Amino acid sequence: MADVTLTNVNKIYGEGPSAVHAVQDLNLKIDDGEFVALLGPSGCGKTSTLRMIVGLESISSGSVHFDDRNVSALEPQDRNVAMAFETYALYPNFTVEQNLAFPLEVRGFSADEQKKRAQNVAELLRITDLLDAYPPALSGGQQQRVSLGRALIREPDVFILDEVMSHLDAHLKFQMLFDLKRLHRELGRTMIYVTHDQVEALALSDRVAVMSNARLQQVGDRNTLYNAPANVFVADFIGEPPTNFFQAQAVESDGDLRLAVDDAKFTLHLSEKTRAAVKAHGGARFIAGIRPQNLTPATASDATSGQTTATLSAKVSINEYLGERSILTAHRGPVSFRALAPPETRSAPDEIVELAYDPANVMVFDPETEDLVH
Amino acid sequence: MAVTTANSEAQLQQTSTVADRWRAVRYLFLAFMALWLLFTLFPLYFMVITAFKSAAETNLTVPTFWPNEWFPQNFAGVFAEATNFNALVDSFIIATANTALALFLGSLAGYAFARFPKQAGGENLAFWILSNRMFPPVAILVPMFFLFDNTPWGTDSHLSLIILYLVFNLPLATWLMMVFFRDAPREIEEAAYLDGWTPMKAFVRVTLPLVLPGMISVAMLCWIFAWNEYLFANLFVGTDVRTYTIVIPTFTHGSQTLWNLQMAFSLIAMIPPVTMFILLRRYMVRGLSLGVVKG
Amino acid sequence: MARLEVEGICKGWDFPVIDDLSFSVEEGEFFVIVGPSGIGKTTLLRLISGLETPDQGVVRVGGRDMTALPPYRRRIAMTFESYALYPHMTVYENIASPLRARKAATSEIDERVRSVANLLRIEQLLQRKPGEVSGGQKQRTALGRTLVADPEVFLLDEPISHLDAKIRHELRTQFHALEDLRRVATVYVTHDYAEALSLGDRIGVMGAGGQLEQVGAPRDLFERPDNIAVARHMGQPTINVIAARLKRRDGGMRVDAAEGTLSFRIDDSHAPLFERYTKDDVTVGLRPQFLRPVKDGQTAADTIEAEVDIFEPLGASGIMLAKSGGVRLTALTDPEAHYDAGDRVTLAVSTDRFHFFDAVTGRNLAGSA
Repeated sequence: MADVTLTNVNKIYGEGPSAVHAVQDLNLKIDDGEFVALLGPSGCGKTSTLRMIVGLESISSGSVHFDDRNVSALEPQDRNVAMAFETYALYPNFTVEQNLAFPLEVRGFSADEQKKRAQNVAELLRITDLLDAYPPALSGGQQQRVSLGRALIREPDVFILDEVMSHLDAHLKFQMLFDLKRLHRELGRTMIYVTHDQVEALALSDRVAVMSNARLQQVGDRNTLYNAPANVFVADFIGEPPTNFFQAQAVESDGDLRLAVDDAKFTLHLSEKTRAAVKAHGGARFIAGIRPQNLTPATASDATSGQTTATLSAKVSINEYLGERSILTAHRGPVSFRALAPPETRSAPDEIVELAYDPANVMVFDPETEDLVH
Repeated sequence: MAVTTANSEAQLQQTSTVADRWRAVRYLFLAFMALWLLFTLFPLYFMVITAFKSAAETNLTVPTFWPNEWFPQNFAGVFAEATNFNALVDSFIIATANTALALFLGSLAGYAFARFPKQAGGENLAFWILSNRMFPPVAILVPMFFLFDNTPWGTDSHLSLIILYLVFNLPLATWLMMVFFRDAPREIEEAAYLDGWTPMKAFVRVTLPLVLPGMISVAMLCWIFAWNEYLFANLFVGTDVRTYTIVIPTFTHGSQTLWNLQMAFSLIAMIPPVTMFILLRRYMVRGLSLGVVKG
Repeated sequence: MARLEVEGICKGWDFPVIDDLSFSVEEGEFFVIVGPSGIGKTTLLRLISGLETPDQGVVRVGGRDMTALPPYRRRIAMTFESYALYPHMTVYENIASPLRARKAATSEIDERVRSVANLLRIEQLLQRKPGEVSGGQKQRTALGRTLVADPEVFLLDEPISHLDAKIRHELRTQFHALEDLRRVATVYVTHDYAEALSLGDRIGVMGAGGQLEQVGAPRDLFERPDNIAVARHMGQPTINVIAARLKRRDGGMRVDAAEGTLSFRIDDSHAPLFERYTKDDVTVGLRPQFLRPVKDGQTAADTIEAEVDIFEPLGASGIMLAKSGGVRLTALTDPEAHYDAGDRVTLAVSTDRFHFFDAVTGRNLAGSA
């Protein structure tokens, strides 16, 4: 067991003008026993980061520590990390048990020990009945478990999972999410999960580290990333359906500061705190963001519940019924945005809907730096 | 603190011994490669310098490794007899025609084996065709001679060798083209059918471009085999048609072998395949099917 | 412009994949076939397009029997799950391919390709090769190739399943907006029920038997599934299915879980269902969103006590696996909530949202939608 500390880690591929800065000044501390997800679009540097932690890639500058031990210069086999890959990479001519025990066999463990540990891991992953089967006879989900088991059997300090679910079907994926969560709880080991899928990242991890453009953008739990995204990228990348963004101009009338959305003839109300932050920040142009979850058809109960809501009317262009919910795509002039509605909503295209939002949920970003103002 | 320092020093030392070991392995490897290069390049080198020696110098008991006197006249000498140049032309005609035929038939057969394995006779038949290439050519030398002797065009003709070499090149072309066609995603062809292309047009427009790099490699292999073939050519042709391979041994003076002329002619004969290889090299790099499938 | 009819179609290799399947799609209708992967959805599209020949049955377009025609003689356009773009041709040439096949004039080709590319917002990519564009752009190119063909039937095979969530939202919106797709008969195949609900005018749920388990409008399928298989396939997380026993008493009915001590009141609105149902065993279905933790200070009519087993915040909502009276249940929570394993929670149950299925046949007691 170990905590993992990355200090000013850089990775540069190549030299001279063609050099690619794949990871830039990365600082991240992962606590002992913590489950952290490394999330980002492809090419953001998450895989390079992971490979540097494992030792498959040299570190251009900076250091990686496991507890107090500087492992930056060590070979992967000397670091006591284990990694499960996206592709199962099982040996088809070995049984599941032989596949599981293989990492022990190459390290010279006794046959008894191999058998015992394979049995334990199989129990943990609920594949004991498959021990004598050969990989080609297994389903995708089962193969993925065996592959996880092979990584786990060495009892590593740090356990790394690289996009392990991207090949699985939606239903299998769901099952696997629960299994992994349980696994982490029972093992209590430090785990790092690399993925481009935010649902997986949010579901599994204690904290999510969001990367983009070779840089770490923000580290936090679900509520931090949702309610206080560090910048436009995080606000856009995290959340489903995607966040609505508006180019807007600050306007003040009767001492009330609002954001007037370009070309759309409507203004967004802001909470008192946001108004103060916007004033303190200065400038007139901003990017406003509001999540579809926070923009819902106004109901009679909103008016009576006395919540501080603001409303905005818009014309429906699409009403997507999705079973558990509906997504309304609506527009005001040329500006189009999405709102979330209960599945009973019957609004047809071209109907005018009244959408309600809490001004506290309007996010404001600086248009130049794209950083969160409030 | 002291502990940490000691640790990192130990690590440093460990790392440096690992590095030393790797350096030693690298030098050994380089030395081996140098020896190997010497071994493979020396014959080539000796051929080149021999082509520039005088006849007398080639027959010294102690061979020279650099010509005492340069003798570029050798290259004119080999064409003293005008028919020698025709031998190169004959070889070219035979190799090119044979390659074209092998590719044409091999592509169709390979496509059939790849796409309609059941109707085409299955994996066994495909393998049997390939196995035709595995027996020693000498075994069929005499029967083939009698067979071709009874054809209207006889043995001493372009056509006899063009067809005969198919015995060796067609199985190779069929097998390799089958492998390339199998790798070409079937759905791309099906997409073409749905676009409204008939199977033949879809084959030409979509499938052939996909296997083109492979096809060029196969063409090179077939052409070089036919260009260099000696055994059958020596027995079959010689009067009306002469390939360059059977001309080379004719450079003698009485009982003396004229090594310089033989090597000069060999050097000239190397020019077409080497040029072709250089020109077509970039087409032989596979990778056209990148990005066909999802992702 | 024509109506598509598939009648009694069968196809099998070592075992039957499609078994006596029939449906029809009106001109201008968007018909979605949804089902788990590997169940034969793609085979069905290949049968309609002519890439496979049915063992039995007929495919008709506009009343004409197409079954014996090769694909290039049918006016049917299809996108492949793998996109199947021509790697050696530019995006432009890929899209132009159907027009070139029918020997259209160069000026017409240019005009059509550019207008389709403009519609799909890929006009700046026309000179690139498929290997040089992103997954979403490949999908648009493949779609462009089918749109340009002006066919009588569109077949779309999992067109957006392999793309990121955000691009999926965007392309789904695009499918709604593409009028070409709304003019002819379209069959769209997917394993994602949300995509099906969003896009389909009607939906067919394909089951393991190679037949359509249920055909209907999106709301009917989700709110009134014909059987347990359909209910299970529609909805994420999967519907809770509890084997239970009916208790008929004066003053109301109850269901008790077959194993454990869990028990629910049956809502009065459901009472008519049991007038003709004589068995004691019944299968209860309850979607996770109708099983929610009661917030402090709130009350609910029907509640159960449960212990949290696993909690996962998914972003838009939280998913809780909990155990109540020995029965494992999935419940949905607020996105911002947090629970730890072992927490005791009170769950509100919307008893009016129960589905009841025949314990033996698995059919919905409410009958067909």
